[in-house]
Amino acid sequence: MDQLRKTVFYDRHFQLGAKIVDFAGWEMPIQYSKGIVHEHLATRKTAGLFDVSHMGRFVFRGDSLPFLQHVLSNNAAALDVGQSQYTFIPNETGGAIDDAYLYRFTEDEYLLVVNASNRQKDWEHFESLIGDFESVEMSDRTEDIVMLSVQGPKSKQIVSSLIEAGPLPEPMRNRLSTVTINSKEVLVARTGYTGEPVCFELFIDAANGPEIWDLLTEAGAEPIGLGARDTLRLEAGLPLYGHELGKDKYEREIPIFACELAKFAVSFSSLKGNFVGRDALSKQFAAFRKIKDGDYSLLEYLPQMIRPVAVSGKGIARQGSGVFTDGKEAGYVTSGTMVPYYKYVGEGLFSEMTEEKKMRSVCLALVDSDIADGDRLEIEIRGKKTDAVVVPYHLRGEAPPYARPIVYDNLFKEKESARVSDDLPAKALTLLNKTVDNTRWRQSECINLIPSEQTQSSMSRLISIMDPSGRYAEHKAVKAFSEAEVFYYQGTDFIAEVERLLAEQMQIYLGCMEIEARVISGQMANAAVFSSLVDYLNRSNRKIEPRRISRVLNHHIIKGGHLSAQPMGALHDFVAHDPTTERAAVVNFPVLPDNPYKVDVAACQDVLAEYKPELIILGKSLVLHREPVAEIRSMVDEMSLDCVVMYDMAHVLGLVGPYFQEPFKEGADIVTASTHKTFFGTQRGIIASNFHRDDHKWPLWETVCRRAFPGSVSNHHLGTLLGLLMAAYEMNHFKDEYQKKVIANAKAFALALKNTGLDVAGDAGIDYTETHQVVLNVGYSKGPQIARLLEDNNIIVNYQASPEEEGFTAAGCLRMGVAEMTRFGMQEKDFQQLAQLICDLVNGTKSVKEEVTAFRKRFTNMRYCFSGEEFTPVMEKLYQLI
Amino acid sequence: MIPQELRYLESHEWAKLDGGSGIVTVGLSDYAIEQLGDIVFLELPAVGDKVVKGSEFCTIESVKAASDLYAPVSGEIAEVNDELPENLDLFKTGAYEDAWIARIKADDIAELETLMNAEDYENLLKE
Repeated sequence: MDQLRKTVFYDRHFQLGAKIVDFAGWEMPIQYSKGIVHEHLATRKTAGLFDVSHMGRFVFRGDSLPFLQHVLSNNAAALDVGQSQYTFIPNETGGAIDDAYLYRFTEDEYLLVVNASNRQKDWEHFESLIGDFESVEMSDRTEDIVMLSVQGPKSKQIVSSLIEAGPLPEPMRNRLSTVTINSKEVLVARTGYTGEPVCFELFIDAANGPEIWDLLTEAGAEPIGLGARDTLRLEAGLPLYGHELGKDKYEREIPIFACELAKFAVSFSSLKGNFVGRDALSKQFAAFRKIKDGDYSLLEYLPQMIRPVAVSGKGIARQGSGVFTDGKEAGYVTSGTMVPYYKYVGEGLFSEMTEEKKMRSVCLALVDSDIADGDRLEIEIRGKKTDAVVVPYHLRGEAPPYARPIVYDNLFKEKESARVSDDLPAKALTLLNKTVDNTRWRQSECINLIPSEQTQSSMSRLISIMDPSGRYAEHKAVKAFSEAEVFYYQGTDFIAEVERLLAEQMQIYLGCMEIEARVISGQMANAAVFSSLVDYLNRSNRKIEPRRISRVLNHHIIKGGHLSAQPMGALHDFVAHDPTTERAAVVNFPVLPDNPYKVDVAACQDVLAEYKPELIILGKSLVLHREPVAEIRSMVDEMSLDCVVMYDMAHVLGLVGPYFQEPFKEGADIVTASTHKTFFGTQRGIIASNFHRDDHKWPLWETVCRRAFPGSVSNHHLGTLLGLLMAAYEMNHFKDEYQKKVIANAKAFALALKNTGLDVAGDAGIDYTETHQVVLNVGYSKGPQIARLLEDNNIIVNYQASPEEEGFTAAGCLRMGVAEMTRFGMQEKDFQQLAQLICDLVNGTKSVKEEVTAFRKRFTNMRYCFSGEEFTPVMEKLYQLI
Repeated sequence: MIPQELRYLESHEWAKLDGGSGIVTVGLSDYAIEQLGDIVFLELPAVGDKVVKGSEFCTIESVKAASDLYAPVSGEIAEVNDELPENLDLFKTGAYEDAWIARIKADDIAELETLMNAEDYENLLKE
């Protein structure tokens, strides 16, 4: 037998009292002195440090993409520089020679990490095929690059604290970056094998490894051995070669699609050509899709699949244990053990990890493909059958920074059906009383700083509930009547006039010619525009399946982009798939390296030239800067791009004008918005454009109107149209005063917060904001908790993930807006006083609830709305009419 | 320290005779507990089960693996430590006291004489 190899960290392991074992020819720590249970829990609670240098690292240079496309299952062409992907090394029959991770840190080089036990086999497999590909250089760099994995909720703080230069990878799985640690270059990947949502793998020059190990442990990372690495991956449901991949216990090949992850890691993109195993994998994939639909007609290609199974009876299922359903053998356990977890208490966002340790018996099993989630099974443990249940997962990672254990009995709880009550009059009374309490609290005791909210004036509110609320007024422009609006119902003359007047006011306000006001929300406004564009793009041929928008340029959601402008939001059904990345064909605005809240205008030139979007969506929900509308317009015109420049002004509709932006003057084609954030209106949406009837794109506007009605609404909520018209009168009358004051207040608020010592986000050079919004950093993942604390003290704000954070549960920002409180009369000095109250709360100095309530009492009279004796009699009449 | 008054098996169980009652108490040595690592499950035999010297009578599991425990004498299970599976930490705090596993009514207490004494067991561990 060859001499066992040692990684450069061997001395560290030894000194820490590790139990050392032979693992794939390497002397590796199976556990350290405190044991596997402790290490597993430490990773879940703080951060684990894993020496994974025994894994094989192959580097591909030269014209390597065609080779990688041929020998790997995933679509390597989808990787941009700075991205990585999980992949399989398939054989011709659709089994796994190995599973692997492919990293692209630089333009001209791919790094493939393979299992230690398969390194030699993988290398020989590649060697046998590489001859068909010219100028590919493959080198085994396992010995000169070492690899450390840092996983768990504290891993981000630990890794960040070591970085001397360079950024962490963007807060999305599989993203990469290059940094300097200990004066040397280190490659960082957001990848791992633990199920932790906050996770890093570091690639380090071997000579630099031990010192970085020491820095990581000094910073608080806890060394974890291979034992806990296995229990962590098992709890996360991740496959291990030799268990869930390769050969089964009867020496039959396990089809790759038996692992659910195959749907991400196998690509049939035309860019891959006829790769190794393609035919066999295509058959498995066809079977996989049918199985997901409950159709078991192709089981011959995928008779069994790997499923997470929770043992509900006594005992621990181990690799090889038989699995039975209705007494009949249905497969066997591929990996199983008892895993520890910390119990969580509390509900939802405020559930908290306790110190209480629990254990649960979990496994992965290769079982008949017709077995479904929730099915009861029996597992044979030492001759006795014990109860088990198929679960969709054992652990969930989508609420960073923690990976949360999901115990099987929480998954299949019966939902209680609603109970019939015979006490409805009493319930009605309760509802009325609670409405009084809530209105009092929100309107006279709370400071509302939610930037997407506004209180309407009493006139606007009152007329919103008068007739014609509750009625219908469907209408459309008819060409036969020279575009006259034709109404389908009687009794609509008044609302027809209101709509006409509203359009006039909005035309004046926005500086445009066309208004569509029937959409009842900003999200609906966006969906109507996207749908219209699809319709417009397909207008010359209605006989074929319509194509989607080929490419959209928008703001990424983590950089403040509107949810409704994302593929997961209103764009979902309207944007094409990019055949290279096999994802929605969306590209994001580049941002400045030192200010993620601001578009890097210079870099937009290349993005536009490369991607040629058909739709550009400007506008954000986390917005501190003016949008570069004029700059984008001139680039689009210079390049003669056939595209629509849309500006979603939801947040900033009330700021349109010389103090902020004038979208149509600057060159927007279409403006969409909700009407109730900085604008004074009722909760509705609006679409505006400046297309003329003789414009090439006029048919697009006609489509917008059709997609509003009948495409989006039949009844367009007539009451709130009245309220919106009143709001538009108010805005056009008071905008000069109001807009100036909002921006001055926001700047004063930001500066005052900064002066208390708090961390205000953004550019100090513009006093942190050019809008109504102020963003406060309160510490990684502390946002929800601090927002709740502020609410308990009657200050209502909104927590948000910053551009560096992994998701809203890890949010470290508070997003605040001054619009509503400005309307209630707060001035710069008042926002300065408020800043101090917030500072006291954030720093935990004292409770300020009473001070806040008293403070709010000073600001209950609404400004920037009409008042005077001439309105009193008619307002009283309206009250009486309700 | 290995208690001097107990008898030991090569598979690391200890056995203790309770006076003249013919009852033998069985447990697991500190060394074995340390080797197993985190003990996460113990499957006790049932009272009344017949056991045979040198045959498995009980299973103990760590995160990594399941291990069988072997009976030091033949006889019948008279009592089991019901508290132990619920509180596996007892193995760490009192391997030779609170973490006793079962009591066997021995068919023939002379069988105990064939087991290792403390000195022999200590020598075994040194090897």
